[in-house]
Amino acid sequence: MSQAIGLQTYIWNNNLRSAVLLAGFPVLLIGMVFAAELLLIGAGGLPSTGSMGGDVAYALRLLAGAAPLAIAAALAWFGVAYLFNQAIIDLATGARKVDRAAEPQLYNLLENLCISRGMRTPDLRIIDSEALNAFATGLHEGRFSVTVTRGLLGALDRDELEAVLAHELTHIINRDVRTMVIAAIFAGIITLIAELIFRVLMWGGGRRGGRDSGKGGGAILFVVVALAIAAVGYVLAIVIRMTLSRSREFVADAGSVQLTKNPDAMISALRKISGHSRIEAPDSVRSMFIDNSDEGVMSLFATHPPIAKRIAALEAYGGGRSAAPGPWG
Amino acid sequence: MTGTIILIVIVVVVGLVLIGIYNRLVALRQNANQAFADVDVQLTQRRDLIPNLVETVKAYASHESATLQAVTAARTAAASAGSVQDKVAAENMLTGALRQLFAVSEAYPDLKANENFARLQDELSDIENKLAAARRFFNNAVSEFNAGIQQFPAVLMAAPMGFKEREFFDVGEGDRVAMATPPPVKF
Repeated sequence: MSQAIGLQTYIWNNNLRSAVLLAGFPVLLIGMVFAAELLLIGAGGLPSTGSMGGDVAYALRLLAGAAPLAIAAALAWFGVAYLFNQAIIDLATGARKVDRAAEPQLYNLLENLCISRGMRTPDLRIIDSEALNAFATGLHEGRFSVTVTRGLLGALDRDELEAVLAHELTHIINRDVRTMVIAAIFAGIITLIAELIFRVLMWGGGRRGGRDSGKGGGAILFVVVALAIAAVGYVLAIVIRMTLSRSREFVADAGSVQLTKNPDAMISALRKISGHSRIEAPDSVRSMFIDNSDEGVMSLFATHPPIAKRIAALEAYGGGRSAAPGPWG
Repeated sequence: MTGTIILIVIVVVVGLVLIGIYNRLVALRQNANQAFADVDVQLTQRRDLIPNLVETVKAYASHESATLQAVTAARTAAASAGSVQDKVAAENMLTGALRQLFAVSEAYPDLKANENFARLQDELSDIENKLAAARRFFNNAVSEFNAGIQQFPAVLMAAPMGFKEREFFDVGEGDRVAMATPPPVKF
């Protein structure tokens, strides 16, 4: 992955980064299953072979059967989420579907972008909120939707609105909602296994002693290693998910420029939105917002890159010229 | 035996790398082509507005026949231009002729009050903005492609593979001089 020399190479680099991050999840999941096995061997839930090397080999053999089960569970979980995703989002945000007659200018902006891209126009929804925000939802063709807030319609001019719509459309084109749901499910399973490992240690710790008194040292080592893997895995799962989310945001900004050819409008829209984007919504929707101002914490755990970084990227790769307001206005 | 296997692996890897570079350059070249076509879309829209504009101005400012003829002639030249360079040159001439036309229209208050003229002026202004954006996007795409064929190791095989540097959508010498001289302000 060489240094990006323009918009397209920047998008390619970010897509490669996203693919690598996503591929990390199954690896992490298998690692967690391995840790759970070590814990069980150490705590007496699984039979021990009597030697540490033998135990590790036993755990690895078990893994060959347990890992596919874990992946299958993840797929099943994803299937359920797939079915109920849209209903949950609509219920939680109170978004209303609007048609061309209700919002002609907005609908035309969206439709023109879709026509130029050769795709079916997704549903358009509006939230009656004063906050400035927008998001894309939907997991498959025919169920895609772009939602904007009333506040956004009032605050942005035509070009800026077009840039925001193009950003959300890029999320739809790249199937980012599906990617983030997959990431959320993986992260959920991994953190669940980690919590189970901690839980087993909490009330399983007292009951040990009888069976494996012969190999006390090895058992404790296994338990410690399992604990370490669980802790690292827990944090890593969240960090991978958030880094993936930020990567998709950069690509969506770049995609907006590809659609509208107008990086300056995206930059000025981001400036206006920054600081005014707070809405109540479930987690799965938050990462699809155009800006998620909830976090002030460590940037590793942020779903969105900071606005300053997004503007800098637009200037570096999108040809944007930042007209930061000078002393005269 | 292991020697031949290693050799085969090296050949396969080098082949894959070459294919990767070639496909990447093709994609970047296509981006530049498409970006130019998008500039063309705006240029066509602009040319389509001109007959209406010329008729509206003629109704109020028939003395300015020289300027009007310049616009019409530039439009015809732009519509029939062949190569990319001719196209760029012709469109730059048309931009200059239009600028002249609007400057001249300032002297006719009846014309400026005409609703049709005001609407056409707004539409042309909108198209000029979109045109500027499309040209910047095209230039960025060209810059990316040119950098792509000049970077190592692509530079070693770009020429034999048939990739040549592209030209930017240049404003043109005459226009650059014209834009550098400030317009005279008469009160």
